[in-house]
Amino acid sequence: MNTPEFQGTHLWLRLGWAKESLEAYQSDYRVVYEDSVDECAKILVPDPNWMAAAMQGGILPPVWVYWELAKDEAQPDFKKHTRGYLLHDTQPIEALDEKSAIEYLIMKDINPSIWMNWDEGNRPKMVICKKQQLPQTREWRNAWRISDELAA
Amino acid sequence: MAGKIIADTLETGAGADIATSYVVNGSAKAWANMNGTGTIALRDSLNSSSLTDHSAGIYTTSWTSSFADTEYATTTATNLDQAYSGDMCIVTHATGSLKHKTYYGAGHAGTDASINCHTNFGDLA
Repeated sequence: MNTPEFQGTHLWLRLGWAKESLEAYQSDYRVVYEDSVDECAKILVPDPNWMAAAMQGGILPPVWVYWELAKDEAQPDFKKHTRGYLLHDTQPIEALDEKSAIEYLIMKDINPSIWMNWDEGNRPKMVICKKQQLPQTREWRNAWRISDELAA
Repeated sequence: MAGKIIADTLETGAGADIATSYVVNGSAKAWANMNGTGTIALRDSLNSSSLTDHSAGIYTTSWTSSFADTEYATTTATNLDQAYSGDMCIVTHATGSLKHKTYYGAGHAGTDASINCHTNFGDLA
């Protein structure tokens, strides 16, 4: 199925088209990361509808658009976005394969302080793995850390 | 985009009408239904890019089409056993994400439930 020409169409409308037209894709990939020594590991789970849109192409904006909006929201006098047009008017990205989609998602939804230097220090603070590598129950969830086995 | 309809007003056959803006502004701009047990996963959603599992019962849903500000409205629901006085609440509204918590008991300890849902209304960026 070809994606309509979406540049200039509100992103939310594009997502509506994707949800109606594409089959959701349940990725087995998970991103495990630690952003504080005092807290347990976090786990990022890709949204199946978002994955379908990313792998279709022509729907999502480039990831730098989200960085620009994040800069605006970080301003102390921020009240409301005034550059939302970046989401809708920027040329959408082409189709991504599954791994590239996960990399995009990391750069969109995880703090840059994690992914920009994930492998600095004594042990990695971020790992991409398959869900089968994670504990299958939630027992002791608040004590989960990145294990040596997972880091390897 | 094919199939475009431009209308300021919607009218029924009986002559009752309503401004299209009422429908647009009153529509949920984002929602999600997630399983917080086992290997957590999103069952279905609109306008979500990912779910981050912070710890027991605490999650962040990230948006694809960001909200204009942090003052959008959220409703939540969970299937926690009522014997535990369970509920689900908002932790943080950001324009690009919603952090939420499912909990039970007087101490509001975060806990995992098999059904966690939220629906979000407001203006998009």
